[in-house]
Amino acid sequence: MEEVVDSRSVRRLKTNRWTGALPLLPFFAFTGFFLLWPVIAVTIRSLKGNKNEWTLANYRPIIHSGPYFHAFVTSIKLSLVTSVIGAFIGALFAYVVVKYAHGKFGAVLDSVSAVFANSGGVPLAFMFVAAFGVEGIVTTVLKSLGWDIYAGHFTIFSFTGVVMVYSFFQIPLMVLVFKPAISGLRKEWSEASINLGATHFTYWRRVAIPILLPSFIGAFFLLFAGGFSAYATARALTVGTVPLVPIIIGTLVDGNVISDQANLGDALAVGMIVVATVAMSGYIWAQRAAAKWRNQ
Amino acid sequence: MAESMKQKYFKWSLVSVSSILASLIFLFPLLAATIYSLKGKNGQGHSFDNYLWLVHQDGFFPNLFITLKLAVLAAALNLVLMVPTMVYLNLKGQRFKSIVDFICILPLIIPVVSLAIGAQVAMPSLLQNTEYELVFFFVVIALPYTYRALDTSLQTVPLKTLVEASRSLGASWTRTIIRVIVPAIRGGITGALFLTFALSIGEYTITSLLHWETFPTWTVVAAQQNILGAIAISVFSFVGAVILLGTIALVSRKSSSRVEVEE
Repeated sequence: MEEVVDSRSVRRLKTNRWTGALPLLPFFAFTGFFLLWPVIAVTIRSLKGNKNEWTLANYRPIIHSGPYFHAFVTSIKLSLVTSVIGAFIGALFAYVVVKYAHGKFGAVLDSVSAVFANSGGVPLAFMFVAAFGVEGIVTTVLKSLGWDIYAGHFTIFSFTGVVMVYSFFQIPLMVLVFKPAISGLRKEWSEASINLGATHFTYWRRVAIPILLPSFIGAFFLLFAGGFSAYATARALTVGTVPLVPIIIGTLVDGNVISDQANLGDALAVGMIVVATVAMSGYIWAQRAAAKWRNQ
Repeated sequence: MAESMKQKYFKWSLVSVSSILASLIFLFPLLAATIYSLKGKNGQGHSFDNYLWLVHQDGFFPNLFITLKLAVLAAALNLVLMVPTMVYLNLKGQRFKSIVDFICILPLIIPVVSLAIGAQVAMPSLLQNTEYELVFFFVVIALPYTYRALDTSLQTVPLKTLVEASRSLGASWTRTIIRVIVPAIRGGITGALFLTFALSIGEYTITSLLHWETFPTWTVVAAQQNILGAIAISVFSFVGAVILLGTIALVSRKSSSRVEVEE
């Protein structure tokens, strides 16, 4: 008898659970169709050969050394360098903004960094050509001061050039992401440690930095994922002079490069998802570690 | 006394170092591009020629119109989809929050290039034959930002009390959402709306990989004929974005400060 009652209440709970999700149906249907289904579809096709047979052959060029492997190395290197630059300089800026920019000025700085952080598009590339191109304003001014930046190997269309351009949106992105962590540093903590006889240096080494570290690492991973996936700026700037994975996928899609493997582009796309997922797992893990302090 | 002097020094040097660094990194390229874009014919003198050149190009108005149309549709669809979803999540569907939260982070994880390739594979041809398919993907790309904007704003209002009051006075659900909740989270909605709009008008990756022509992709093509004109439009869109987002910041600041006063 009891069992029957039990199972019935369980069933009622179950139907409640499903009807409870009903108002979310549009959301799940939308994201299922326009977000998850494309990812599943590209993964399936990346596992198909030219004759529609199941194979891992599309992934071989990525793992073995060659242009596609090299593209992954270059992309990862670029994201690493720009997110290190972005993370350190951005953290400094975030600290200064939180500490010394209040009120309206702070709000303006907020929206300016939001614009700059989301500026990784086409306009950014052209602006840097205007500044650092062969005939760019900064190039000309520096030349008249006796420093020809084009004397060596540098061009704005090279790896170093792309690093400069990417830093332009990585630094403000870091400011946006890292600011809440610095605002979360309580005044009581620094006062308490100073009262206990610590110097400012000890406070930073023993209290502030350990607390900020998870947020810092998390932000770094977020920057990495963003830099790794960026497409528009590099595309408009380099037109393929720096071999980056997204750019190569773009040329495959446009039919500018023909590969004897029809679904190679799909495998590259899935490869990008894998790298980005690793980076974002780092981000989510670090976020959890950082939340420990915020909830206390 | 010595300690506070030291601190003042520290503060002063920190602020000046970061100001110099910031202007080197951000101000110089912007200034350089602005000066460059104002160059006259053959680099002689200064004029607005480059700005006017672009306006007189064939594709300027049609492409601008398409971009604006898609952006408006994306912002509207985003709100229709996300406002009820977020309200429900914060009101009754708490246990689904973590999964919706996770789905909304996915567009940051899945590279847009990969999403574009997937869209080519997965979308029915009916959809692939119309430029309106872009609207759906603009909404997807905006999801992480919309989620945050709406969620933050919903958490600052006493949602349950508002809904109970409205319902017990006999208002229907639709009426409650439109007349009570929407005005209460005005700030978050404006933020979500403008963010989607801003992301959509600048979107290049998905648009170009799906072979559609909008304003940003057209700019790249136009740049191949006249780099000065391309720089002019870049400066123009950058300044436009600063003004747009600056306005949002001030508007949402106002509405959020009002909520604080009421509480």
